[in-house]
Amino acid sequence: MRDPLVRAGGLIASGVYGAFIVWLHVTQPQTIAQVTGGLASSVGAYRADPQAFADGLQFFRRDQFIEARAALMRADPAERDPQTQFYVAYSYYREGWRRLYRDDTLYARGLAAVEKAIRLAPNGRLVIDDPNLGMHSADELKTELERGLKTDRSDFNPLKVFEKRK
Amino acid sequence: MSAAREALGLPLVFLTVTLLGGLQPGTPFALTGPSLFSLVLAAMLFAALVRSGAVMPDRLLHASRGLLANANGAVVLVALFAASAQLLTLLTPRTGLPLFFVDIFLFVLLWNTLIAMPDRGRLLRSLAVILGAAFVLKFVILAGLADPSGSRVRRVLVALFDVGTFGTVSQEVQHPAAGYLAFLAAALFLVGVATLPTREDSSGTGLERARARPA
Repeated sequence: MRDPLVRAGGLIASGVYGAFIVWLHVTQPQTIAQVTGGLASSVGAYRADPQAFADGLQFFRRDQFIEARAALMRADPAERDPQTQFYVAYSYYREGWRRLYRDDTLYARGLAAVEKAIRLAPNGRLVIDDPNLGMHSADELKTELERGLKTDRSDFNPLKVFEKRK
Repeated sequence: MSAAREALGLPLVFLTVTLLGGLQPGTPFALTGPSLFSLVLAAMLFAALVRSGAVMPDRLLHASRGLLANANGAVVLVALFAASAQLLTLLTPRTGLPLFFVDIFLFVLLWNTLIAMPDRGRLLRSLAVILGAAFVLKFVILAGLADPSGSRVRRVLVALFDVGTFGTVSQEVQHPAAGYLAFLAAALFLVGVATLPTREDSSGTGLERARARPA
């Protein structure tokens, strides 16, 4: 009677352990917070910290992007909350936006963050209802960041200096 | 072999080796899968283990065993293969000439082992030497050459060596914990392989055989 129980328990334990290893390889978490957050979100128990998120938004609206990102990353240490990742990406967009040029390094980081936000959003659709933003969907932000990273003829258009930051 | 060892102990050991073998400590840490060549080497190692009797597949998978027992046996075999592939990837240098020569070295050694068909004891000793040599080469010798700390003279000598070998020998700097994790993985793997069911197990443990003996 005891042997079948041990065997069944071992099978379940091996399955869970093996699935955990495969999950680690697929998701490639880079910190322990991402591992624990990823496991929590897989059972629907992960929430971004609302206080740190509110702090991040305040900094974001005051154009203090580095501080905003610090607060947003504190709010979402596992990088599993699509809304927080959207604001992280937006902070890179606004910080990298210059009247005469776009900062490729910041835009590339923004693109990585918005792609993460899209992956995390249900069905890949993410719309943020924030009147302070010029772009409300992750798709718009992604396209804008991709456009900023490309070099084409439109980059030499002098009228581009009249473009507004979104 | 007891059910606990087969269902819990061996899968736990081999899956832990699989996990440790893929882990690259540091900030951020990363997980890498086995290389394609390490899958070939793992298949050769698996065949050598079977031919030497270190692994008895019929003791783990057989029509006379129950469904659960066969499932446990299959898990052990799959975990053993995965652990072999990950461990061989872990002990192989990542780039340059050392990667090429260690791959060739392991391939020839395992081929030789397959042909020589040593018994279980000799194969386990040979495996310990192979894994130990690969560990020393990657985590002691090559890691020492790549270590950026040390005196100025040492760094100049290492830089000259790098220039002399066209940068084909030097490896990227390892995290200090990497060697310890690799040692733990190799040791766990050897312990796991040594505790796999053998021919002697097939008629039960010594105590079981004594009980079964007529008075």
